[in-house]
Amino acid sequence: MSEGVLPARGRGGRALSAVLPGAPQLLGGRVGAGAAALLAWTGLLWIGLTRAERVRAALSGPWDARLAAFTLLAGLVVVWAWSWWDAGRRYRPKTVAVSQWELAVRTFSRNRTAVAGLIVIGALYAIALLTPLVAPYPPNLQGNLVTERFVGLSAAHPLGTDHFARDVLSRLLYGARISLLIGFVAVAISVSVGTLLGAVAGFIGGLVDAAIMRFVDVVISFPRLVLLITIIALFEPSIFLITAVLGLTQWPSTARIVRGEVLSLREREFVQAAEALGYSKPRIILRHLIPNAMAPVIVAATLGIGNTIVLEAGLSFLGLGVQPPTPSWGTMVDAGRGNLLDAWWLSTFPGLAIVLTVLSFNLVGDGLRDALDPRLRS
Amino acid sequence: MRKLFAWVVIFGLAACGGDGGARGVASSDPFCQEVIPRVDAFMAEAREANPTPDDERYGGTVVVAGIGEIPDGMNAAVSANYAARQHQEFVNLMPLVNYSAELEVQPYLAESWEVSEDGTELTFHIRQDVYWHDGEQTDAHDVAFTYRTVTNPETAFPNSAFSDHYVRGPEGVEVLDDFTVIIRLERHAEFLDAWTTLGILPEHLLGDVPPARLSQHPYGTQCPVGNGPFVFVSHAQQDRWVFDANPAFPAALGGRPFLDRYVYRVIPEQTTLLTELLTENIDIYIAPSPDQAQRIIDAPNLELLDFTFRSYVLVGWNSRRPQLADARVRRALTMGTNREEIVEAILLGYGTVANSSVPPFHWAYDPDAEVALDYDPEAARALLEEAGWSDRDGDGVRENADGLPLAISIKYNSGNQERQNVAEIMQAQLADIGVAVTPQVVEFGTLLQQINTPTLRDFDGVVMAWVTEFKLDDTNLFHSERIDQPYAWSGTRNPEMDRLIEALSVTVDRERAMPLWAEYQREIAEEQPYTFFYFPDRLDGVNRRVRGVVMDARGEWVSIRDWHVDPASR
Amino acid sequence: MSKYVLRRLLGAVPLVLGIATIVFFVVNLAPGDPTLYLLAPGMDADVIEQMRVNYGLDRPVYIRYVKWVGSMLTGDFGYSFTYRRPVAEVLMEFLPNTLLLTGCALAVAFAAGVVLGTIQAVRQYSALDSGLSVVLLFFYSMPSFWLALMLILTFSLFARNVWEWPLWFPASGMTSTGYPFLGFGEQVRDRLMHLVLPTASLALVLTAGIARYMRGSMLEVVRQDFVRTARAKGLPERTVVFKHALRNALIPIITLVGLYVPVLFSGAVFIEHIFAWPGMGRAIVEAIDTRDYPLVMAGSFFFAVTVVLANLLADILYAVVDPRIRYE
Repeated sequence: MSEGVLPARGRGGRALSAVLPGAPQLLGGRVGAGAAALLAWTGLLWIGLTRAERVRAALSGPWDARLAAFTLLAGLVVVWAWSWWDAGRRYRPKTVAVSQWELAVRTFSRNRTAVAGLIVIGALYAIALLTPLVAPYPPNLQGNLVTERFVGLSAAHPLGTDHFARDVLSRLLYGARISLLIGFVAVAISVSVGTLLGAVAGFIGGLVDAAIMRFVDVVISFPRLVLLITIIALFEPSIFLITAVLGLTQWPSTARIVRGEVLSLREREFVQAAEALGYSKPRIILRHLIPNAMAPVIVAATLGIGNTIVLEAGLSFLGLGVQPPTPSWGTMVDAGRGNLLDAWWLSTFPGLAIVLTVLSFNLVGDGLRDALDPRLRS
Repeated sequence: MRKLFAWVVIFGLAACGGDGGARGVASSDPFCQEVIPRVDAFMAEAREANPTPDDERYGGTVVVAGIGEIPDGMNAAVSANYAARQHQEFVNLMPLVNYSAELEVQPYLAESWEVSEDGTELTFHIRQDVYWHDGEQTDAHDVAFTYRTVTNPETAFPNSAFSDHYVRGPEGVEVLDDFTVIIRLERHAEFLDAWTTLGILPEHLLGDVPPARLSQHPYGTQCPVGNGPFVFVSHAQQDRWVFDANPAFPAALGGRPFLDRYVYRVIPEQTTLLTELLTENIDIYIAPSPDQAQRIIDAPNLELLDFTFRSYVLVGWNSRRPQLADARVRRALTMGTNREEIVEAILLGYGTVANSSVPPFHWAYDPDAEVALDYDPEAARALLEEAGWSDRDGDGVRENADGLPLAISIKYNSGNQERQNVAEIMQAQLADIGVAVTPQVVEFGTLLQQINTPTLRDFDGVVMAWVTEFKLDDTNLFHSERIDQPYAWSGTRNPEMDRLIEALSVTVDRERAMPLWAEYQREIAEEQPYTFFYFPDRLDGVNRRVRGVVMDARGEWVSIRDWHVDPASR
Repeated sequence: MSKYVLRRLLGAVPLVLGIATIVFFVVNLAPGDPTLYLLAPGMDADVIEQMRVNYGLDRPVYIRYVKWVGSMLTGDFGYSFTYRRPVAEVLMEFLPNTLLLTGCALAVAFAAGVVLGTIQAVRQYSALDSGLSVVLLFFYSMPSFWLALMLILTFSLFARNVWEWPLWFPASGMTSTGYPFLGFGEQVRDRLMHLVLPTASLALVLTAGIARYMRGSMLEVVRQDFVRTARAKGLPERTVVFKHALRNALIPIITLVGLYVPVLFSGAVFIEHIFAWPGMGRAIVEAIDTRDYPLVMAGSFFFAVTVVLANLLADILYAVVDPRIRYE
């Protein structure tokens, strides 16, 4: 809630919100929420109106097109409805003590770069979902090999074409799906495995702890590159394999963090109370310890997504990334690296996309850390 | 901050000691430690005895850079790599004979030679004015030693040159006197070709090494001692090779080369290579990609050399697979691919469409005999229909009478953009004639295993490339007797081709061989074991300050003795 | 304390052995072997077989494993297939190159990271803080090979040919071709010139992580009581920050050094590749490609040892600098 002007309320505010969701919030001083809502509304509306045909066709097309159409329509509805509801709310500044989470949310929203990062990430995932509607061409469509290769920025191809006369913008959009997916799933895997093992090690202690930590040491000390290259060379480099391998080599750091948190939580009263009450160990771990240890894990996870996306680019450099013709940002940067002098757009745009995405994830992660760690708040 | 800066400087100073002196990182191997001083001593003597002539062309350093290291270095008995062989042939060692620009065999280390009437004895007369870089004279014993070594199965000599038609082992060679040696062989065509690429090795240094250990001997990469126009100075792994001019090179062959020093640098990244060429840190860039050619042409201080090379890119068809067993299908696949367009688009015109394994500059090449299966989708469709493949269920992919779809995979190795291009373009173009192609990328080592293992042959089509010698011999590729050997990818069993291949290998006279070659090229077109794609042009970026550079199908380093640097730009 | 170190060292032995075993089997199970790369048309199956014998590949896997374990104990790691030299020699030739590059990069990154992190902490939430975050993270987020190529194009190619700056840097290599003929001072300058771009590429990526760590540490320290006391005593802000807070904030950074040691030895594969820097990272990756088993295994073993020792070093340093920590 802002400390300044109260948002427009009542019929006036609602009427404005019905036409231009997000505007009343913006006018009322809540820049973040207002900008996000306004952007989302105008963006989705523009896509819907300029591509009405495609939307209609998509509703009966392949699953990803249907998902895109559904996202578009659902998004429009949700944004409009939220803005309508929010414009009619009454605001009272809270003077009573606020909860930990509220404090965290407030600190986070005050951090402008973090909020900007969050908006960018939201936009990216939204675009990834809406790609079948937005992309001007299919990603693997080859144009005329003699005349349309390496076309620069032009009206027909806003971001140029590549070695096979394929549109870079479309490939960028479809590549977003792959890169964001790999990042998200790999980190999900590593966070799940790491959290579980770390919590078990920290809480149970003793031999189990020692064993798990030795295992962590082995994985950390293992030359990751050797493992990656050999595994991907042994089996075919599919998206599934890449994601699995990236996830399974990143869990040790999460495990260590969680273990550290659990070690300190273990001595707290609420845990002792739970033990006294006779709760089983798994229950204590899952329902009491892990939720309280999640703060640093969340931070590590957001940073991890960024790392994974960059790692995927590195794998492409070694020839082990996502296999052609499937586009991913990493493979696109790598494919363009022999043409940097002449067809600079091949590497630059996916490279900038990676930078923007990873940057946003990192800013959000930093913001989360500042917000969730009580020692860092001013 | 000041402290940190000091650290950086200290690091720099401290690391200076690593690259000590002109010799670079010294080898700790006792063999090298013994040999190198002798080379230095002899070279010092030779420099005194043969002062540099008073000609402004003498002097200067040329830096050549390429993407790969020279594996196995100058050890001619164990290396198969192109760059290595080029350096052995032209830079550090001397083969017995050479090719002239017209591809006629001419003397080099051998002054002259004779062949017996029945073609089974080849006598070489070795020059008497050639010395190894450590002072020993090169003689027939070295030739005999080299021959015994490369024909000894324990050495595992990777070049096939001597494996057919030559008598192997000690029985195949006889030393008549210090400068005359006799080689025994079966009568066959182009028998001198093998000797154009084999650098003769020094017996006095390597004679005692057990052949099986030869591949690990430090001679190749740490202290090669040759007898060629350039003397080895140093080799820093994955970084550079340095050679100096040999003042003792025979005057009859031109005496010492013009250059004082020749450096070969290894730079694994193409953009970096181009940058170094454009900023004049390197003089010659070996094999830039066609996309980089225009930049080189546009630069006023650079020149692009361009010649047809004796390698060709192909898609090999596994005729053991039911979809590919019929030659008509294979011909249809070729006709369904617009190879002209691919050369135009991918190679930017730097290539020639290939229709057989005979390169266009070769004496055996007959443009009239070639049957070009030009791009003709209509005819391709007709052929497929004729062979019994039509689209019976309307899904865009043809099936045969048993319902087997004409769906094939084309494998190619990861990390090679060009081969990926070929596979993907074929996919798009063959879809038009009702063939479903799936490009499949496989890591190189794994791919080689899949296609070379006779019991495996796990592929339908594979994009590969062959580098041929000037002696063309497809026996191992297409002869039915070799069908269980690694290279018989296509699994060809064609008695006509067998007959032609056998005839060609024993016809020594080029005149008489020409009609056979014509027939062979026609037969290949019929059989289509491969879809021959193109002979890529070899490109090289050369700084104009280096004069006298001639590059052709014989290789990039063929004229290195004549390279000289414009005195103004030294 | 010494008992703790001893225990950790003893524990490291089975750890390294385990890693070495896993590496051995993973590498040897990969399809293909080094002979595949030397094949040319016309070679008999016999020749190939002979090559494998020459490489010692004809022996069964378990015998090769025993040999491998033996070699770890004696230090004789066999001959590299691609370099035809004892593996130890090969690695020793690459190691100083990598140390030079990563050493410089880490030195620069730590220096810059400490300074920038402190600035950010002192001015938390200001425009400077956010601005620095964005800039640092911008470079951190780039794929390093792309960053390296952009630096080459900017400071080598364009600087010389297009913009004609007075100072431009060589795009690759450790030294120039004429290096052996230069005087000592010129040699130092030559080396430094070749170091600039690769070090910058690596340092730009590393700085962000270190700066962020420093920022967090500094923020923690600045909130502590002794700092408030110092302020209350009326000391100038500068003294408070640089003399009191900074020293304490540096403590965890020192332990971070231990964790970055493996980077020191493993090298940066992409940077080495782009700049044609003959280092360990590149060597190992190329060895995997060409199935140079002895080199891959020795390199991995070496790397594992450095990581284990580095972790131990980090823990020890932590105990040394922070008197509250005690290991039994």
